[in-house]
Amino acid sequence: MAKKPNKDDILSKIRKQGSGTSGGDASAADAAAEKPKAAPAGGPADIMAKIRAQGASGSSSGAAEEKPAAAKKAAPKSPADIMAAIRSQGGGDAGASAAKSADAPVKKAAAAAAPAGDLPPVDEMLRQMKAGKVSGGEAAVAAAPAKPALKVPVRPAKKSAAAGASTRRGFVSWFAAAWVLLTVTSATWVLGLARFMFPNVIVEPPSQFKIGSPSDYPLGTVSTKWTAARGIWVVHTDQYKGKSLIYALASVCTHLGCTPSWLEGEQKFKCPCHGSGFYMTGINFEGPAPRPLERVGLAVAPDGMLEVDKSVKFQEEKGQWEDAKSFVDASLV
Amino acid sequence: MHHPNLTSSVIFGLGFLYLVQLVMNFFWTIRSLKNDGHCRLPSLFGGAEVPVAMWWGLYTAVLAMLTIAHFTGYSSPDSFLIVLPDWFKGLVDVAVSDPKWFFTETVLVFGAIILLRRQLATDTAGWILLNASTVFLSLSLTDWDFRQIVGKPDNVPIVGMLFIVGFFTWLSFKKANENDSRLEQGLGPLEGEDNEKVLVWPDLVYTELIVMIGLTAFLFFWGVCLEAPLEEPASSVKTPNPSKAPWYFLGLQEMLVYYDPWLAGVVFPSTILGGMMALPYIDFNKKGNGYYTFNERKFAISVFLFGFLPLWVGMIVLGTFLRGPNWNMFGIYEYWDVHKLEALNNVNLSEYFWLYGLGVSMPVPDANGSFMSQVGTIVWRESPGIVLTLGYLFLLPSVMAMTIFRNFAFRMGFFRFMVFANLVLLMAALPAKMVLRWLFNLKYLVAIPEYFINI
Repeated sequence: MAKKPNKDDILSKIRKQGSGTSGGDASAADAAAEKPKAAPAGGPADIMAKIRAQGASGSSSGAAEEKPAAAKKAAPKSPADIMAAIRSQGGGDAGASAAKSADAPVKKAAAAAAPAGDLPPVDEMLRQMKAGKVSGGEAAVAAAPAKPALKVPVRPAKKSAAAGASTRRGFVSWFAAAWVLLTVTSATWVLGLARFMFPNVIVEPPSQFKIGSPSDYPLGTVSTKWTAARGIWVVHTDQYKGKSLIYALASVCTHLGCTPSWLEGEQKFKCPCHGSGFYMTGINFEGPAPRPLERVGLAVAPDGMLEVDKSVKFQEEKGQWEDAKSFVDASLV
Repeated sequence: MHHPNLTSSVIFGLGFLYLVQLVMNFFWTIRSLKNDGHCRLPSLFGGAEVPVAMWWGLYTAVLAMLTIAHFTGYSSPDSFLIVLPDWFKGLVDVAVSDPKWFFTETVLVFGAIILLRRQLATDTAGWILLNASTVFLSLSLTDWDFRQIVGKPDNVPIVGMLFIVGFFTWLSFKKANENDSRLEQGLGPLEGEDNEKVLVWPDLVYTELIVMIGLTAFLFFWGVCLEAPLEEPASSVKTPNPSKAPWYFLGLQEMLVYYDPWLAGVVFPSTILGGMMALPYIDFNKKGNGYYTFNERKFAISVFLFGFLPLWVGMIVLGTFLRGPNWNMFGIYEYWDVHKLEALNNVNLSEYFWLYGLGVSMPVPDANGSFMSQVGTIVWRESPGIVLTLGYLFLLPSVMAMTIFRNFAFRMGFFRFMVFANLVLLMAALPAKMVLRWLFNLKYLVAIPEYFINI
């Protein structure tokens, strides 16, 4: 064997040398120990396997420290398995000392196994004991798990009744407090956000404003006076359907929303972004703009001043320029 | 309004530009002496055998004289003689300041790249092209308007990009030429010989490190030398004139001149991205995988380069250098006059059809009618354009499958071919609409401004 000696090898060697038992036993232990992927010692499976190996070998040497890897075949996963292992151990004649050394771990294992309900095996063991088939040593093994198995449900129940209840109640209240706090905070945020939408002071100019007397806008002119501040041109022309009208055009290109420039020399609005062009009337004639500039509301206020209402729009292609609110007839003022 | 074309500092700066070219060509002459062999002079000059490097030596000497002239003659810029002649400027301005001429020229250049790839993608031809462009740049910089456009901090990277695009196009065709020759001789591609493989460590990693450091240093230098192009505070009622997108979107902005925003800004860009992703699934040609070649992938490379060079890079160049105030076209030596008048009067197809074709007034939707009657009238009004558009997108693929792309349709199957055909048609839609605009002043094929649908 060219294997590196691992812990199992060393232990099996020691056992081979130290034990005065038959060769078959040693070789069996050796074969078991040679399995490289031995389950790690410490789990209930190991302990059970240990007990079983001792019982099967019939050795009463009490060498409980060795950790054979025979657990692989059994590989107990559930409390039922563990109990089965204990039961199978009863078939052999384990020494009392082995039982004693295994007593404490078995207690633990039984304690762990207890909630899963292992009464039938215990009953069976008790019945076996009554039948007189087992020795006293074995009875000790069988009785050992029985005691804690009965006690375990009682003791934790007491504890949970005393300490557990107060802990859970405290936990629930803290949890609720955290949730309430979170909800209140979030609600405050949302309310604050909603409040943000209604500022105390709006810095933008009002949508209705007066732009002076109609006589300020002579026929055939485009006034750019209000473009920079209010985004409108005031046009007075008779080129649209032959009537002398004053109206206000929104200075937003109908293609992509840039602000066109009024070119006095060419008598047209020209957009710097994609080259759309509009006549003085606002009708599109060049470039990609698909529709005329939009008019905004214009009316004569009671004091004779022109008043623009930017909150309404009038689109030529929808026939809205016929609306009397979209222009002021210059011949009537 | 008069700006001097030349100033002392411009002339002095150009001296450095010529100095760089001088050094470059000095080394090229040495290389030519080793590699290029000899040529025979014309019999008029005696017919003697001279090394090819002699011509490069002469050219280098001319550059040396130009350098000296610029470094010594900068004191009197008005009498400085090394400038572009006005007739040349006028010729170039006419050639580029009309979008239809510009587009025609870019398509011709694209055709020349494809057809003359054997001649152009050689070392000597590449060097000649590089020198032609640098000399053109150096001479053009003597013009004030050209300097305004090219020297704008926004535009400097695009000038660099032009050289980079040119170099990599040249490089790919050079490698493709090598492989195509090898494939004609029955040899495998050069990449299959594994003779270009290097070790990741240290060769590649060291190279990357050095390039990284060099590029960082270059960016520092650039950031210090050229000021960031900051403009005045934004205002919703004031748009800069001209108002330009970032340079990489100028192709899209040019598309917006011809198409409605929802098409040019949404549908076409998405189609470009989706179409690129679909390419591997459309392609059935298994050749040309992992090596440079042109002859084995003529159609794929030509179509891609058409979309990339004239339609994307070309439009970026047009938008960057040729679009001026009011989005008018300007020559590269032309003053950006805000009042330049360009007569445009665009007409919708429906207006052509009803007003000019049939001589009747256009159907007008009844403002008081029901919604359905309005829609019906609008559809009836725009029916010529709708029929044309539907025919273009749904009838033309079948016609293509039966005629020019019969082989493709057979090998691709129905769905793949339909995807392919529609991608090709959508790509062709941009030049098609541009040509229609230029030839017929066509604004929109389908114009439904009432519902913001214009095609």
